[in-house]
Amino acid sequence: MTALLETRELGRAFGALQAVTDVTLAVEPGELRAIIGPNGAGKTTLFHLISGLLPPSAGRVVFRGEDVTALGAPARCRRGLSRTFQITSIFPELSVLENVRIAVQLKAGGNFRLLGGRAQLDASERRARESLAFLGLEGRADELASTLPHGDQRLLEIAMAVAQEPELLLLDEPTQGLSPEDTTATVGVIRQIAKARHLTILLVEHDMDVVFDLADRITVLHFGRVIAEGAPSDIRANAEVQQAYLGTVA
Amino acid sequence: MRGRWLGALALVALAVAPWALARHQLSLLTDLLIFGLFALSLDLIMGYTGMVSFGHAAYFGLGAYGSALVLIHFEQPIPVALLAGALLAGVIAVPVGWFSTRAREIYFAMLTLAFAQLLYTVAYKWRDLTGGSDGIAGVPKTTLYWGGPSVAGPHAFYAVVAVSVVLSLIVCRALVASPFGRALQAIRENERRFISLGRDPRVFKLTVFVIAATFAGLAGALFAPFRGFASPEVMFWVLSGQGLMMVITGGIGTLVGPIIGAMVFILIQEILSSYTEHWMIFTGAIFVLMVIFLPGGLVGTARRLATRA
Amino acid sequence: MSVANVVEQLLNALALAGLLFLVSAGLSLVFGILRVVNFAHGVFYMLGAYFGVTSVAVTGWFWPSLLLVPPVVGVVGAMLEASTLRFIYRRPPIYQLLLTFGLALILEESVRVVYGPTALGVEPPALLQGAVEIAGTFYPRYRLFLVVLGLAVGAVVWLLLTKTRTGLVIRAVAQNSEMADCLGADVTRVRTLVFGAACALAGLGGVAAAPMTTAYLGMGISVIVDAFVVVVIGGLGSIPGSMAGSLIVGAAQTWGAFYLPETAMVIMYAVMGAILIFRPWGLFGEEE
Repeated sequence: MTALLETRELGRAFGALQAVTDVTLAVEPGELRAIIGPNGAGKTTLFHLISGLLPPSAGRVVFRGEDVTALGAPARCRRGLSRTFQITSIFPELSVLENVRIAVQLKAGGNFRLLGGRAQLDASERRARESLAFLGLEGRADELASTLPHGDQRLLEIAMAVAQEPELLLLDEPTQGLSPEDTTATVGVIRQIAKARHLTILLVEHDMDVVFDLADRITVLHFGRVIAEGAPSDIRANAEVQQAYLGTVA
Repeated sequence: MRGRWLGALALVALAVAPWALARHQLSLLTDLLIFGLFALSLDLIMGYTGMVSFGHAAYFGLGAYGSALVLIHFEQPIPVALLAGALLAGVIAVPVGWFSTRAREIYFAMLTLAFAQLLYTVAYKWRDLTGGSDGIAGVPKTTLYWGGPSVAGPHAFYAVVAVSVVLSLIVCRALVASPFGRALQAIRENERRFISLGRDPRVFKLTVFVIAATFAGLAGALFAPFRGFASPEVMFWVLSGQGLMMVITGGIGTLVGPIIGAMVFILIQEILSSYTEHWMIFTGAIFVLMVIFLPGGLVGTARRLATRA
Repeated sequence: MSVANVVEQLLNALALAGLLFLVSAGLSLVFGILRVVNFAHGVFYMLGAYFGVTSVAVTGWFWPSLLLVPPVVGVVGAMLEASTLRFIYRRPPIYQLLLTFGLALILEESVRVVYGPTALGVEPPALLQGAVEIAGTFYPRYRLFLVVLGLAVGAVVWLLLTKTRTGLVIRAVAQNSEMADCLGADVTRVRTLVFGAACALAGLGGVAAAPMTTAYLGMGISVIVDAFVVVVIGGLGSIPGSMAGSLIVGAAQTWGAFYLPETAMVIMYAVMGAILIFRPWGLFGEEE
């Protein structure tokens, strides 16, 4: 089986600071892969490199067999790569429904219908409502996104990404700032998405319980480099990881 | 629902105005509508896309010159002049927009101002074409179509302006509700999110910049025959700034608000200028107070109060 | 073009760059600390020129005016900041821009009320009247003075920012806007201080420009447009950027006026266009 996403010796420097070095990954279709690592390990930078928000200073990104290194974030998204952000990134003064609807519309095209476009708006609205229902947000569809509680805003961001029906979903710390109850609910939602939509998911996460609960495989970053990769049980047992990361947490 | 009633009421008021108003009042109303259209066009980029232009008057001025030249040299019917003015503004907006939309927020504002001053300088210096600082005087109000009735009378020209402005408002309302218009609002709300959802915002921004310039050009194209002249004054930064004031006064991102804002703004100016020639100090002060205390403008604040009630 | 011509153009460019630097450095500094683009900044330059006219008329001396006017303009600026801008820092940046625009209108019109619509000239001091011979051409002494003044103020600003504690704090805040919060209660004072200091710099530019350009209405807007171009080229928030931008714009305008008198501005815009294509955040600006 060929990998859905590959990075080859990917690197990014900010001036003298080498944030990501030599990262080579292969994510199989259907896999739920977690990326962990202490603060400043380069996880979010790696996400920006994969989603195209930052150009790499070295290496390649290959998605569905195509080299997408030279493509920007919009083009990668249209090829089936949707993401969420660590700091909630939504359209605050638009309704919850419109947030998701615009996500559908931007992916589907027809954005330059300057007048009319009623049928198209209705079609994208239907898909948006499906996605909202899937995440249990249908009751809040008409509220302004900025008025939602934090936990629901995190879910809304996932709903926007899921509504785009991507091949690969990148989730950047989906449980960031959530209460224990909300965290449990979000873990359930992610598992459900992965199953129901046969999505491949790449997850950056701080919460170790979440990671060991969800991930099929785990990649550990430390100072921008991959120091370990394997099944959750291997990672748990790995001494280097213990030292670099788990040790400091415990 | 209440909005629809108010809209119908406004239409009726516009329709009976020629019979209800004295001649100079009708002329003032024509003026208000023209600047209302100018402010409306600015709201498309400012209120719906979050791009604040400090040089919008340039397109008003281009429209005025375009229409003035067509009317003086070719004596074409008014609709041809309107089209020419609007098109000229739209065409010039393409390169300016291409450069300006490379930058964001404050950089965008500075660039639009810089380019507007450049266009102002060109209008000022290209004496052979524009008449330099004197401008072009004696712009005629021609006919409605080839061999058609004259629109020189105040009632007829008022009708041309009122119809143009109402149609523009209808088109702009459809524009902001269309898939394209919705995308603009998403750009305004969060550009980075927009990018990561699959589209490059620059094409959208350039498109709406050109559309807004075209409507501003239409307003200018109405202005030239109405006042009978086009001069560099109508491209000056002060008018760009007054446009911003109209939008803020009326309510940013409401389309109707800026039209009302333009009317209120010009009426205040009219009243103040009958007491003092230095009215700009007072309008400036009113504007500063509005920015501090009423950022939603008249319409925005009224809507908020209405939903709360 | 002869050597004399080259020297003359070079000095003209430097004199213009000096004035532009006085204005754009303040604009940049205010943006760095307050995150506000002060549209009214050019009007403070104009205020400097008009106050200079008054001061020279009253005292009869140019030199004391050069020292006296900038702090007065600075105080006016600081008072306006404290009475209006201070209340809306939490709003989106565009509201601050709009507010300063309103201030610009008020000040411009106030100057018209007080001084009337005609341009007012200022005699340069006796020491700087006439011309000196440089490389076979006669060059106005006053312009040479502007070159020296620009360089001197550039050096002083540079030293203040790099060698003093206050300068250190200011640069730290400019580089990292979150640092502003770490300053706690002081942040309000730092903002007012920086705003006032920037206005004083612009005022200095104005009073120094007056003998060359006269004081006239509209000098504020024309200088702010040039200063905008300077900071777009150099990068907003960067002092070396506004130095480099001033030199480029000064040179473009001077040589533009020499070779293409009718379209001098086009050169400046062409330079800006090129910068925007290759470095949209300016020569010394930081990529977003």
